[in-house]
Amino acid sequence: MNDGPLIVQSDKTLLLEVDHERAGECRRAIAPFCELERAPEHVHTYRVTPLALWNARAAGHDAEQVVDALIEYSRYPVPHALLVDVADTMGRYGRLRLEKHPGYGLVLVSSDRAVLEEVLRAKKIKPLLGDRVTDDTVVVHPSERGTLKQALLKLGWPAEDLAGYVDGEAHPIDLVETGWSLRPYQKDAAEAFWAGGSGVVVLPCGAGKTTVGAAAMAHAGATTLILVTNTVSVHQWKQELLRRTSLTEDEIGEYSGTKKEIRPVTIATYQVMTARRKGVYAHLELFDARDWGLVLYDEVHLLPAPIFRMTADLQARRRLGLTATLVREDGREGDVFSLIGPKRYDAPWKEMENQGWIAPADCVEVRVTLTDSERLAYATAEPEERYRFCATTETKTQVVQRLVERHRGEQTLVIGQYIDQLDELGERLGAPVIKGETKIKERERLFDGFRSGEIHCLVVSKVANFSIDLPEASVAVQVSGSFGSRQEEAQRLGRVLRPKADKGSARFYSVVARDTLDQDFAAHRQRFLAEQGYAYRIVDADDV
Amino acid sequence: MDSYGDWLRGRTDDQLCALVSARPELITPVPADLGALAARAAAPSAVSRALDRLDRAALAVLEAVAVLPSPTLTALKKALGARSAEVVERLRDLGLLWPGPSRSLRLAPGVRAALTHPAGLGPSARETLAALPLERLLELAEDLGVSTAFASAPGLAESLAERLADPGPLVEDAGPEARAALEHLAWGPPTGRIDNARRRVGLAEARSPVDRLLARGLLIATDDRTVTLPREVGLYLRGGVLFREDVITAPVPSGTRRPQRLTDQIASGQAFTLLRLTEELLEHWGVRPPPVLRGGGLGVRELRAAAGRLDLTERDAAIVVEVAHAAGLLDRDGGSSEWLPTRSYDLWLLRDAAARWTELAGAWLETDRVPGLVGERDDRDRTINALTDGNIRSSAPRVRRETLAVLPEGVAPDEESVLRALAWRNPRRASGLHDRLVSWTLHEAAFLGVTGFGARASYAGALLSGGDVAGELGALLPEPVDQVVLQADLTAVAPGPLVPDLARELALTADVESKGGATVYRFTPESVRRALDAGRTVSELLDLLARHSSTPVPQPLSYLVEDVGRRHGRLRVGTALSYVRCDDPAALDEILADRRAATLRLYRLAPTVLASRLSRQDLLESLRSVGFSPVPESPEGGLVVTRTDARRAEPPARPPVEHEHVVDERVAAAAIRALRAGEEAASVGAPEGEPPRTPSISLIEELRAALGTRLWIGYLDQQGRASSRIIEPVRVDGGFLTAYDQTRASIQRFALHRITGVRKI
Repeated sequence: MNDGPLIVQSDKTLLLEVDHERAGECRRAIAPFCELERAPEHVHTYRVTPLALWNARAAGHDAEQVVDALIEYSRYPVPHALLVDVADTMGRYGRLRLEKHPGYGLVLVSSDRAVLEEVLRAKKIKPLLGDRVTDDTVVVHPSERGTLKQALLKLGWPAEDLAGYVDGEAHPIDLVETGWSLRPYQKDAAEAFWAGGSGVVVLPCGAGKTTVGAAAMAHAGATTLILVTNTVSVHQWKQELLRRTSLTEDEIGEYSGTKKEIRPVTIATYQVMTARRKGVYAHLELFDARDWGLVLYDEVHLLPAPIFRMTADLQARRRLGLTATLVREDGREGDVFSLIGPKRYDAPWKEMENQGWIAPADCVEVRVTLTDSERLAYATAEPEERYRFCATTETKTQVVQRLVERHRGEQTLVIGQYIDQLDELGERLGAPVIKGETKIKERERLFDGFRSGEIHCLVVSKVANFSIDLPEASVAVQVSGSFGSRQEEAQRLGRVLRPKADKGSARFYSVVARDTLDQDFAAHRQRFLAEQGYAYRIVDADDV
Repeated sequence: MDSYGDWLRGRTDDQLCALVSARPELITPVPADLGALAARAAAPSAVSRALDRLDRAALAVLEAVAVLPSPTLTALKKALGARSAEVVERLRDLGLLWPGPSRSLRLAPGVRAALTHPAGLGPSARETLAALPLERLLELAEDLGVSTAFASAPGLAESLAERLADPGPLVEDAGPEARAALEHLAWGPPTGRIDNARRRVGLAEARSPVDRLLARGLLIATDDRTVTLPREVGLYLRGGVLFREDVITAPVPSGTRRPQRLTDQIASGQAFTLLRLTEELLEHWGVRPPPVLRGGGLGVRELRAAAGRLDLTERDAAIVVEVAHAAGLLDRDGGSSEWLPTRSYDLWLLRDAAARWTELAGAWLETDRVPGLVGERDDRDRTINALTDGNIRSSAPRVRRETLAVLPEGVAPDEESVLRALAWRNPRRASGLHDRLVSWTLHEAAFLGVTGFGARASYAGALLSGGDVAGELGALLPEPVDQVVLQADLTAVAPGPLVPDLARELALTADVESKGGATVYRFTPESVRRALDAGRTVSELLDLLARHSSTPVPQPLSYLVEDVGRRHGRLRVGTALSYVRCDDPAALDEILADRRAATLRLYRLAPTVLASRLSRQDLLESLRSVGFSPVPESPEGGLVVTRTDARRAEPPARPPVEHEHVVDERVAAAAIRALRAGEEAASVGAPEGEPPRTPSISLIEELRAALGTRLWIGYLDQQGRASSRIIEPVRVDGGFLTAYDQTRASIQRFALHRITGVRKI
């Protein structure tokens, strides 16, 4: 028997004991072919999925390496069936390849005729293909390159795309590293992407994905189309690019609901791209407006379905996806794999935190016991009103006041969902409130004040979740807001807990009403945070 | 020494012993004397059974002896290589070869007839020609320029055969197309089918290649539609070689080399998985047993459900089911209609992992059921279900053993080469079913963890030989641990199989989230409540966690336990079948105080409510009989809690499986002595005088001391009649004496208590 740090489970999860002396090397060995699922304090859980295995294949790893790594680090015997399954799955990638043929153009080539026969018989594949020119080669309609890859992945025979890319219209872009420099992992990520051609870079929130994007643009030295989630992001990206690269204001265009500029580097929102007029996408021509050398997707895990369809037609252009997580709530990880590309770089949250790139956080759940009258009112509230009721009780407000009082002098954000509650809190705490209706100008003024330290406490509504320019804080108090989804939560935390000048740890409070729906949401949050490896405590409000 | 029987008589006792041990059918029953033994050995059925046990090398030697013109040992060595000498020795011990005149070797009687086309060669020209009619012989002789003067049929055949002894010029003469046609038959089978084989063909008018061959006697018609290639022609075409490849050396399955450590790791991992799968399935079936089909067996749907549950293919699920059944862990409940885990299953669960696996693997090795057949169609085109007799193949246990035995050390062979090696070992057993059984065996062995990545695990040898499998496997399997890792996301990771007590407590307090080498448990409010419901207290639970955690208990976890504990039991729920309600508490006081109402088992829930365990009807009537006048309320209120009990079937009585008819050494020796005795001109008569009488205490001693010698005993038969026998004791056990009874010429068992006395002869 081995004394390895890894335990292989029959459901294809891998348990890694992090305090083991060989944990570090083991993590590096297994990271290429599995996704980190949970990272609580002692034992991390990784999952081996077909996509993860194919990602590993795309990165040049073979089944033998995977099997060796599992056996090398596994504490217990690894079941034969699992190893066979791994080898089988990995063997499926690359049997089919998309290549450029001097005579026929884009072709699908197979190294295994049986596989080719199988996919040729599939109903969904047939219309995408042209003539069969040799036993192993079939012509592919160039316009179906993406759709074909999608369909093949669904059949379980992912194709390796070796057909290359168009260079696009050259446009020199250089990084200007004055007053900052590219962090080593950012450099690695950009280079890994460039070497792979197309693909996804996975970095935790706050790790500087924008900078990786800028570095990739410098590599490409070509006109670039950047797709981001919303208008605030557009501004953020523009600022970052101006700061980090040789690009000037004139070279960067903004393509959103209000402005329609097309420049060598154009930043567009998903929203405007998916806007339809009379049933057709009104802005599709943007993709052809220039001969783009690089298409960059921000927050790939939020990429809406229509963008996938448009991306299927962009397979000849280099594509870079940036995201904090490959997990999509809609389960369309396969589309990301086939249409944007395989994972090219990945760094775990906790490791970056240890290196000081992102802030460690201390999470505290404060349980508030409602008064008898509040409980009675809660029990009799209408079902749709119940959450609002328990989330906004007076008792909670008092606890929030105490918490803010305790951290007086530190930069504190109070986050909530219900405007009435936020207004009341703002009044009682004497702090400005930022909500949906707050003007952009006003918002920016308040944020600047918060950043410079003139304002110590801000009360913000749910918009904070999605606003990229939310200033860093050392204390965040969440008073209401359901547990939306894992990525929403990751976002919220990532935005608030930016690296701080003093590298001190940030504190994240959730104030929760005991024995109510609020507590159920809190349980999800607790699980999520603990799984992300954050210290998590539960205290009673009386102890605050 | 000119008869086979004489030769046998000349063999030593040890040699004869070896013979009957290797061919036990020769002494069941024991023949009267060696002459009878020789006759039995020549019988077609006995020869065929003997040949069935031979490997390719032995068969090749027999075939060579059959076709070589002068089959001496030297000629054999020249034809087949020096190592054929050992094979000859072996065949002699089996009584299949025996020495002929002038150092030649002879096939035992009956062997030649059992070999069709030895070495793929046809009969000699002399034999084939002898069957031709005279006019055809005359024609041939004419065409081949053999003198027909003074021709008689045998004489002509002889001369023609001599002509054909060197067929080279004739073959050349027939032309290249004709030679190509001959080459088809050269390596056997040496017969071809053509229409009108006995046609008249003269050398002059022969046109087609076949005609040209027939005209030259290179092919000879043996019936209307068959032509045969005479042995001499065949040998000439082969350049005198009997076998194309080396038939003497046993082929070893070849494939990728694998380090044994790796193989063991993978195999034992799979072995552990099998245990988990078996347990998971039987635990589930203990609560929700699948029905037995009308024709016996397990329905396709149930098997599919089991496969889904275990996340296996149906084929692998069938293996789990069949192996569990073969091991006696699963059976139909005493003729009832459900498949249930047996009581043996409960005992099985108590053993350690290695012992549990050994039991399963052993049962798999022995069972004559073939899981691979499940889901296929039988000859009447009905689906073969799991757990039916339809998937019994009596050769399955033997094929499994042979397949495992042939796997080499440290190599993962490909199926092709395994089949080749097996075919060499038992060339006469090759069949479609055999090959499929081998293929299934390889798959099942991998699934069970007998092999890892195709190579044999180190403990597989012990499994085959009945050695200490559990010991060898146990060293590879994870040790039970009594510590878990608790984490703030409310999970507990048991980094290995848990000691049973802790496993039970944790299963009660937390939900299992993932299984395998380790177990991941998740604590939820519901799971903690379940533990509290089962009578654990908050402090007990916290203590349990603290004691078995290698790290401090995370604060959120202890908070969870306390928080659930705080709310636990605030609401109380009880059972009442009926109640009495009255707005006036005084009226209820009155009922409770009434002594006649004591039998009503009333108790007070609230000032205005009494509950009772009596049914509403009974309570109504009882109250009325005591003089009250209650009225029934609407019919709700009864609550019956039932728990479905996990049931068990009786374990089936499994008779020990006998593989081959194995002859006990001593029995064989006794049989030989008996045969020798039979040879003595007259059988020994009973000594004069009364049957012996011996005090019973010394009887056993005396019998034991006399093993292998000849004794005279007095014996009471089943009707109580006294008789006397001359016997040779073989063994004494279990209250019986096994002995060769000379009087009856057979091995018999005598009840010790009926032996009246013993005397040495």
